[in-house]
This record gives sequence, structure tokens and C-alpha cells, in this order.
Amino acid sequence: MEKLAIVLASGELEKIQAASIIASVASTLGNEVIIFATMDGLMAFRKDIVEKKAWKTAGDLGKGMLEANVPLFIDTLKQAKEVGNLKLYACGMIMDMLKMKIDEFVDIFDDVVGVSAFLGMVEDAKVIFI
Amino acid sequence: MEAESDRVIDARGSYCPGPLMELIKAIKEEETGKIIEVWSSDESSAKDIPEWVKKAGHELIGVFKESDYWRIVVRKTK
Repeated sequence: MEKLAIVLASGELEKIQAASIIASVASTLGNEVIIFATMDGLMAFRKDIVEKKAWKTAGDLGKGMLEANVPLFIDTLKQAKEVGNLKLYACGMIMDMLKMKIDEFVDIFDDVVGVSAFLGMVEDAKVIFI
Repeated sequence: MEAESDRVIDARGSYCPGPLMELIKAIKEEETGKIIEVWSSDESSAKDIPEWVKKAGHELIGVFKESDYWRIVVRKTK
């Protein structure tokens, strides 16, 4: 069994979609998958942004995704958490800096962690930075 | 002669990874030996779902092209 970790630092919908699909499918194939959402990648999970679907997009592709019947990353990740071995962590540093609480984000995170805790979790993992 | 499916998931109109995630959920819920088929109008899902089935160790009974969608039929083997 492999361990895969994704550092999600981008808030662009296209990148988050790609990361969520790879993470979700990997988590259903016996891999342990960890997503660490930080910087703009964490902001994409803010409740107000998710409700309004107000994500940043890199271009027309992202806008098209919002118009088409594409499963959005929040739903894909929630499904993966039900059937696979996927854990999501929110970056504590960003939340401290912006004085935000975990309940301002959609209910998908397993915990709030700092960089040292994250590095401890991924010592034996392949790490992808997005 | 194709065996009859125990469960059919109509995921037409959805895109990757929608049909696959629906199938995975159904496989998790059903008992070993059950036959599950997922319908997808998304060609990339029709190509990729068999890859998942192989990697996950289930049995791919077949991918059947209908008029404007595919039926991917899988037996849960474990």
C-alpha cells in the first residue's frame, strides 16, 4: 500500500479539481491519501465561497466546469472519504493569521495541523505539490 | 449470454470521476459475488473504469456500447 500526500496550495478550480480526482481515486485503491490544504487552497473550502461557487478559475475551462454537470471537488472528496482512505487537513498557520475558525470552512476536514505535524505524517509518502 | 446485473447505476450525464465514484460506492455496499453495472455517457469514464476494476481486483464482465452510452459490468470478487 502506498501513501500519497497532496499539498494543495492553489485556489484555482482547475487545479483543485485535478488534485481532488487523483486523490479520491487513489484513496479507493488501497492507498492512504492525505490532503493538506493551505494558502489559497484552503480558502477554496470557505463556506461562503463554496455556497456561491465563487472559486478562482485559471480560464475558460474552469468556468466551463462550473456550467457543465461536472462533479465538483467538494462532492468528490466527500464521496472518497466515505469509501476510501482519505484524510484532509487544514493549515493552522493560515487560520491563525486570518483569525479564522474551522467552522468557517465546509465540514470536510479531519483536523487542523501545522507544518511540523504534516511533515511527520508524510515522512513515508509520495508528496505532490499543487 | 450475459448474466443479469444485481444493481444498475445510471450515471449518464455525469463526468469523470462521477460514474466511477458511484460504482465504487455500490461495490462497497453490495456483497461479494454481486454483479453491478454502471451506465456512463462519458467515454473517458468508460475507458478508465475498467482500469480501476483491474487495479482494485474485481472482475470486469464487459464494456458494452449502447446507442449513446456505455454499460460497464463488474462482478465484486472480494
